[in-house]
Amino acid sequence: MDIKKKKKKITTPIWRYFIFIALIIVYILPMYVLINMSLREVTDIRSRLYPPIEIKWDNYSEVLNKSFFNSLKNSAFIMVWTVIVEILFGSMAAYGLVRSKSKVAERFASINLGIMMIPGLALLVGTYSLMVRVNLVNSLWGIIFLSAAGGLPATTFMYMNYIKSIPIALDEAAVIDGASVFRTYISIIMPQLKAVTVTRMIMTAIGSWNNYLMPVFLLQKKSKHTIILLIKSAFDSAGSVGNLPQAAATCALGLLPIIILYIFAQRYIIEGQIDSAVK
Amino acid sequence: MEKRKRATLYMCIPALLIIVFFMAFPLINGISVSFYKWNGYSQTKKFIGFENYITLLTDPVFWRSLANTLLYGFGSTLLQNVFGLLIALYVNSKFRGRNFIRALVYMPIMISGFIMGQILYYFFQYDGGVMNDLLGILSFAPVYWMETGLRAALVITLVNSWQYLGLCMVIYLAGLQNIPMMYIEAARIDGVNRFQEFFKIKLPMLMSSITTAVITNLIGGFKLYEVIVSLSGGGPNRKSLSLSYNIQLLYFNDEKAGYASAVGVALFFMIFIISWPINKYLVSKVEEY
Repeated sequence: MDIKKKKKKITTPIWRYFIFIALIIVYILPMYVLINMSLREVTDIRSRLYPPIEIKWDNYSEVLNKSFFNSLKNSAFIMVWTVIVEILFGSMAAYGLVRSKSKVAERFASINLGIMMIPGLALLVGTYSLMVRVNLVNSLWGIIFLSAAGGLPATTFMYMNYIKSIPIALDEAAVIDGASVFRTYISIIMPQLKAVTVTRMIMTAIGSWNNYLMPVFLLQKKSKHTIILLIKSAFDSAGSVGNLPQAAATCALGLLPIIILYIFAQRYIIEGQIDSAVK
Repeated sequence: MEKRKRATLYMCIPALLIIVFFMAFPLINGISVSFYKWNGYSQTKKFIGFENYITLLTDPVFWRSLANTLLYGFGSTLLQNVFGLLIALYVNSKFRGRNFIRALVYMPIMISGFIMGQILYYFFQYDGGVMNDLLGILSFAPVYWMETGLRAALVITLVNSWQYLGLCMVIYLAGLQNIPMMYIEAARIDGVNRFQEFFKIKLPMLMSSITTAVITNLIGGFKLYEVIVSLSGGGPNRKSLSLSYNIQLLYFNDEKAGYASAVGVALFFMIFIISWPINKYLVSKVEEY
């Protein structure tokens, strides 16, 4: 063992370090440029590679106003409810499909792939005109149900794979004890799926936070804007008014919650991604 | 027991209701609109049968955005799989800091495509863009990154591949870690070199990872939309549009809701026709071990 280790250390070639540094530069540069832009004076138009002459923290404090907190609130509201609706109904449906041994369950992999192939934009005309008709424009609930509908097939599919591996004897024991279907699901099955549920919740939360397509068309009122829409309008007005540093500061602050979540829950996120991708 | 089975099936009802109302209805509504001439907001629409689909065949913007969509789909899939696999092999070997690299390469996936495009917009500007600054440091002449449609489309493909590279990386990493060490050790005893080890042992065993990565990336690339909006705005002159972006412009800018719907239907069929057989083929090639 010892000999093996030594051998490895000696033969570590130089290109390894080269790739290491290249990857760091390629992946950190955009973040560096964003933060750099956000700390500059408006008048500072030197190359964005150079750090600011004088760090201007005011850009950040000016962003933290009422509309920022309002959009934070909207984003959080949408996120929490999308997660609840998608996880609860998705896992319920998965339980129903697996344990009733319906024929749909056998074909669900293909159904899921088929739904995945429908591009969100192909539904744009149909969705938007429908939302106008049922008065769900400028409604946060409209967005919640739309994103839940988009995510439900994949969530259901993932839960199905896990529920299949839970022995049916557990359900049967619950039946003998006189538990109802819902009771069996909530107190026998769900506790077995805590780890999956956490990963799926995080994935759904991130997806919801980053949602752009439907909010940009449906949430037209400024009071209903989400964080992503606030960042968009900050950059849009940076084009005309010219306060790019402030737009960059808005963007950096809006990304902060996601980055923090990523740092702490990285393992879950990557696992969740593999889970939802690997069929 | 039969009664309980039915009660179990009822657990699907809430999910089913949401999907029917917020997905199936819009889908059906969209397909039906594609047979009408409609501006998107007026009360009246005129039934014109397949006319929207016939217009499609002679619309240069449609064909251009179709070609771009194919480029975004196949181009990103190729780049992401090649580089994703290479980085996965790199991160799979033992060295200090590999977890950091893995976390770093995966990070851009956390960020909305729209925001990422917006940040990278400041990289590909002609005046004061970071890319041209870097070229300047290496004393090259600045480049008009968005000068032609093709160039803009290539930049978009590159940005998209860069952003979602981490997805391929983790898929391949999971695949590589599932290969039993004994195969590799046995081969090493037989004296295979590194290339043989990769092409003859690791690659065939990665078939199911390849299936997953190719299909996910292909579908993701065909749907590409957000990053284009903020990176090139579809320009110059609507020449870097994807079909998705084309639909949005047709609907909200040109007020051709019926025609936009027809493009949507065409996009779905395109994805279906390309992805389905590839999925079937790749699944059939997955090696049992």
